[in-house]
Amino acid sequence: MDRREHQSPQGETARILVEFLEVAITSVVYLKGLYPSGAFERRRYLNLVVHRAQHPQLRNYIHLSISGLQPFIEKGLIERVAVVFFDTEDVPLERFIFKLSVNQSCGSMVEDADLEFSLRSFLMKLSVSQTLTSTLSQDCRWEIVAYFRTLPQANMGNTAALWISTDTKQWQLPPLITPIKSMSSEPLNVQLYLEHPSSFKTMNSKVQPL
Amino acid sequence: MSSNTTPLKRSRDDSAASTNPWSRSDSSGRGSGKRATRTAKKETKGSKQKTLGMAWGANSLSSSRSSFRSSPFSDFGSYMAEKNRKLQEQFHAEASTSSHSDSSSLQAIFHGVSIFVDGFTVPSSQELRGYMLKYGGRFENYFSRHHVTHIICSNLPDSKIKNLRSFSGGLPVVKPKWIVDSVAANKLLSWLPYQLDQLADNQPKLSSFFATKDGLLSKDVLTDMVCQLHDIGDSSLKARTLRGINSSEVGQSTEYRSPLCEELGQENADVSVITKSINCTRECPGSCKTELIDMDKEEMRIFREELKDSLSEPSTSAGNHPSDRTRTRSLPTPEVTKHPNKGHSTAEDPNFVENYFKSSRVHFIGTWRHRYRKRFPSSLNQVKCASFDLKASDDSKKACVIHVDMDCFFVSVVIRNLPELHDKPVAICHSDNPKGTAEISSANYPARDYGIRAGMFVRDAKARCPHLVIFPYNFEAYTEVADHFYSILHKHCTTVQAVSCDEAFLDVKDSDVQDPQLLASTIRRQVFETTGCTASAGIAGNMLMARLATKTAKPNGQCYIPLEKVDEYLCKLPINALPGIGHVLEDKLKKRNIWTCGQLRMVSKESLQKDFGAKTGEMLWSYSRGVDNRMVGTIQESKSIGAEVNWGVRFKDAQDSKLFLVNLCKEVHLRLQGCGVHGRKFTLKIKKRRKDAEEPAKYMGCGDCENFSHTITVPVATDDVDVIQRIAMQLFGSFHIDVKEIRGVGLQVSCLESVDASKQGLERNLLKSWLASTSANRDEQCDPNSVMKETIDIGLEGQNVDGASSNLFPHLARNSNQVDDSSSDCKASLDRSVTRPALCHLDIGVIKSLPPEVFSELNDAYGGQLVAFVSKGKDKSSSVGDGEVSGSSPSLHSQQVVNGARDGMEVYFSGTNHVDRFQQDKQTEKPLLQETDLFCVPKPSSSNMGASVPSLTKTDLMPLSLSQVDCSVLQELPEELRDGILQQLPVHRGQDVSLIAHFSGNAGICQDNSNTESPDKSSGSVQRETELWIGYPPCWVDRFQVSNCLILSSLAETYQRSGAPGKLSSVLQRFISKIPSHMELTTHGWNEATSSLSDLLKQYIKLKIEWDIEEVYICFRYIRRLAVKSKLFLQVQNTIFPYLQASVGENYGGNLNISLE
Repeated sequence: MDRREHQSPQGETARILVEFLEVAITSVVYLKGLYPSGAFERRRYLNLVVHRAQHPQLRNYIHLSISGLQPFIEKGLIERVAVVFFDTEDVPLERFIFKLSVNQSCGSMVEDADLEFSLRSFLMKLSVSQTLTSTLSQDCRWEIVAYFRTLPQANMGNTAALWISTDTKQWQLPPLITPIKSMSSEPLNVQLYLEHPSSFKTMNSKVQPL
Repeated sequence: MSSNTTPLKRSRDDSAASTNPWSRSDSSGRGSGKRATRTAKKETKGSKQKTLGMAWGANSLSSSRSSFRSSPFSDFGSYMAEKNRKLQEQFHAEASTSSHSDSSSLQAIFHGVSIFVDGFTVPSSQELRGYMLKYGGRFENYFSRHHVTHIICSNLPDSKIKNLRSFSGGLPVVKPKWIVDSVAANKLLSWLPYQLDQLADNQPKLSSFFATKDGLLSKDVLTDMVCQLHDIGDSSLKARTLRGINSSEVGQSTEYRSPLCEELGQENADVSVITKSINCTRECPGSCKTELIDMDKEEMRIFREELKDSLSEPSTSAGNHPSDRTRTRSLPTPEVTKHPNKGHSTAEDPNFVENYFKSSRVHFIGTWRHRYRKRFPSSLNQVKCASFDLKASDDSKKACVIHVDMDCFFVSVVIRNLPELHDKPVAICHSDNPKGTAEISSANYPARDYGIRAGMFVRDAKARCPHLVIFPYNFEAYTEVADHFYSILHKHCTTVQAVSCDEAFLDVKDSDVQDPQLLASTIRRQVFETTGCTASAGIAGNMLMARLATKTAKPNGQCYIPLEKVDEYLCKLPINALPGIGHVLEDKLKKRNIWTCGQLRMVSKESLQKDFGAKTGEMLWSYSRGVDNRMVGTIQESKSIGAEVNWGVRFKDAQDSKLFLVNLCKEVHLRLQGCGVHGRKFTLKIKKRRKDAEEPAKYMGCGDCENFSHTITVPVATDDVDVIQRIAMQLFGSFHIDVKEIRGVGLQVSCLESVDASKQGLERNLLKSWLASTSANRDEQCDPNSVMKETIDIGLEGQNVDGASSNLFPHLARNSNQVDDSSSDCKASLDRSVTRPALCHLDIGVIKSLPPEVFSELNDAYGGQLVAFVSKGKDKSSSVGDGEVSGSSPSLHSQQVVNGARDGMEVYFSGTNHVDRFQQDKQTEKPLLQETDLFCVPKPSSSNMGASVPSLTKTDLMPLSLSQVDCSVLQELPEELRDGILQQLPVHRGQDVSLIAHFSGNAGICQDNSNTESPDKSSGSVQRETELWIGYPPCWVDRFQVSNCLILSSLAETYQRSGAPGKLSSVLQRFISKIPSHMELTTHGWNEATSSLSDLLKQYIKLKIEWDIEEVYICFRYIRRLAVKSKLFLQVQNTIFPYLQASVGENYGGNLNISLE
């Protein structure tokens, strides 16, 4: 995407964020090992080795979902983006939550080098976070869910129409939260944490590396 | 080898030993003399040394112990030691009786020699033992590299030849004939000619390099020693000049050397001088220049190591004392001439490169030009002017050029004081070994009559003329004569173009002299009278003809070719006489049946150009007609500078080659410095032995080689030795060549820029040039720190000029890049701002944006007024300066961000805060600054890096009421920032507490804080909830510090130790290791402590929960760890856990995945 199109810092930030999310979500999927590792190819992003889906459908799903979010992110409408893993009964087993905030009032342009630093630390932490996650059976499925602060208006254009309300089942009890990484790099704040159903007790904080 | 570890001791030993009469005696060779000193010393600690057998025995304890259990010896090793001791005793006893019997008749010629006989010899080993007994030597029954000085054998098995070093331990392996002949001669002969033949042929082997006999020379050991020390001192001096502390005048070190040399008589004194300087004493003995003593520790260390190296050399190479070529320079000439010690390959001499160039004629000629330029700078300028005038008045006068050339310069200079040699064949060469493959570099006319030519091997020359006398170079004399020569030339003529050290063109067109022939003969006469050497001269209308005329005139004559005779002269001139026609061109021309210039003239210019290329064709055409349009005095700037060594290059391993490269780089660096240029393009050339190439005919020559070269161009011209070395290493690494195959290495620097020019460039970058006017002239080193300081000064002064503060920021930002590691103390540098602008002229915007260190500096300079000034200005700017401040904010931020980054990602609100903070932190920050890599100075938005804690302490500076605040500005501020300011400015400010807020995730976009306010709904409560974290350092630190609870105070201490207002998690992490496990409280302080800690943590959670759940999570896990150690923390943990989970639930709709077991 051409940088010139986005003169506002929010646009620029959103662009970077979308790009990052695409990589991060692919990393999450890769991390979970739902697909054989051959389904991913090694790529370089922010000078890190990351994985990219090779299968066009998988790649397009991630890419289109996230890039479809860009206008909303730019306007600060997106609160969270979640990667939700379901079991066969469509009960969520694990949710990777990206909590986002793009400061709407910040007038300054985002600084690439610095943002890059923050985002890189994010991806690095993510890549070593496998122990934090639960083991999933092979027949589970997953989806990308975006949480809007307000429902998109019709005037947001036809991209808004592409998003449908989710009928995802909710957990009965408040979930257990395992933070993975937080970063704030004005005007962008991103946090990634895991949500597990509260019955999820297999993970113990003792084994978590500090 | 144990002796390696005590080089200093050795040098003293040597000096002491040198007073022994025997070591001065003529009969003792130099090598053996040195060995004698070694052994003399060895004997003092002989008991400690292991013999070979002993070593073996000691290593094989397990195998030998059993068999020796019953014996009185604990093991084989001690048995051998005992046996050796006994044998020695017997030997000594025998020796004393035999020498007593006829001590008067027999000299102890083998004193200090200790032989070990290997295998069958003629005479037998017993006979040899007898000789040793009689003549004061020693005989070892068992080999030990510590005792034995010579191995005697007639034949060696192939395996030992191949692995000579492990066999001999580097000791000389000599034929028994050496002993016999020495006895016959009744003096110790040099063993070198008696070296085992099998070894002598092996070219790269160490010992063969010294095949030239020098044993007969009655050179005092100490002389050598001192000379060596000189060289070492010299090189370390040089090394220092390399470091750029001094100007790199090599002449200086030469000059330093000579007084020492004169004092060779007082060796002891000299040696002690040097040892003294090694010991870093501050005395300054008269003979030694202060440089040596002033060497700083670093240099001292290098010096010592070098000394160590060179001192340990004799022991490793056992008598192959490192023959230093420099000796040829530093010793009086007559002796030198008999001292044909050649250098050696790179393999043996750590100073090979240096010595190589010291004895290189090519190098002498090459560097001579620069010397000349320095010596006659004025004349060169004149030349330029003159040649300029010349063009204008070209036709008015008849052109006349004189070419003066000394006759066989290199020879005649050397023999100028030896009239008896004038009509004898004499040649100059490195070595006069009659079998040698050294090349004759110059031969006089009698020698030329024998067909001896330059470039011929000595052995060939000797074959043609057995009584040829060969001298080594005497560069000092050359320099001296060349100087005389040129003084004479310059005296007679203003337009002199130096071609070489012994050859020049004079343009006498516009000089007063009427008859150029007369002038030429005057010059020649004077040259002869002054220098004792003859010169020839050619006079003609242009440079070409003058030069040709000189050829005709030689030797010792002059020749005038008037314009009308040019054609005639050229007509029969063979073509190869023309300059520019070499073998290749000559052959080509001869193939066309062109032998003389006359024939050449028949060919048309077009045809020549077609066949030989435009330039060569043109040259041929005009030269054959005697046309030469060059002007006398045109100076060709050298386009490249470099150094190349392709003789004696033999590397054993990568280490060797590395060392060699380092030295080569030093040499190149010196040359660059000498010519006053910097270069950008570095080319490393490697000569690699061809796979099938034999050892070259020329001894240690390069032979048949493949040439490789790689080039690197760097963006900034440099002559820095470190940079050059780095580049050279890099280039070298890119070759991937087995170092053993390398036969020549050259480093060439091109794209030269004169130092002045590049300095200007540099100054432009550094803004140093700005300062030239205002700051005192300081040409010493300008460390980055001072650059920084200066920039600040500029900032302030530039300020006066235009007041446009924003313009200045780029400079600041740029310069801060250079501050990355500065270590000098800052105090002095401010004195440099000679004219300090009046306080009122300062721009607050600039001041505020200064880095804290600089600010405090300035503040000091203004006697502390600056702080007040800034705070005053703050109020002012709150109403007026919004635009300006925000305009300048980018770089202002970057500065602050720099601070922030250093301080652990904290960014402060406004300039005023700096005032306090700078003073507090001045100490801690300075060292930190050095580590901070300012290269990545981020732009404003980058300021985050994590949690930042904007804080405001100087509430006094805040506007008193909301009415003073510009709401439009406020609206522009980021949300968190606005909130912060709002909290800062409650509706009415009545409270004494500093009302400050923290905002997690606020990147601290540091706008000016003073101009804000609007009524705020929740600020009061937020503020109270996080009050402990207000301020810098957060106010809990102060409270905890004074607390009498040990845990609290040590936590506060940990926070302060952590140096920067960072995250609580890092503080807790540190604290874990510090918390004393036994530290428990009495109930009396308990409740207070828990509640304090709980409050602290709660407030921190409050602060962080929204955007840094990770931090909260980590902190809590540290608390859990602490809880294991301390009951206090256990209670704290239990207190805050519900709060934590509630907060998480509130913000994230879930519970933190953490539990209390």
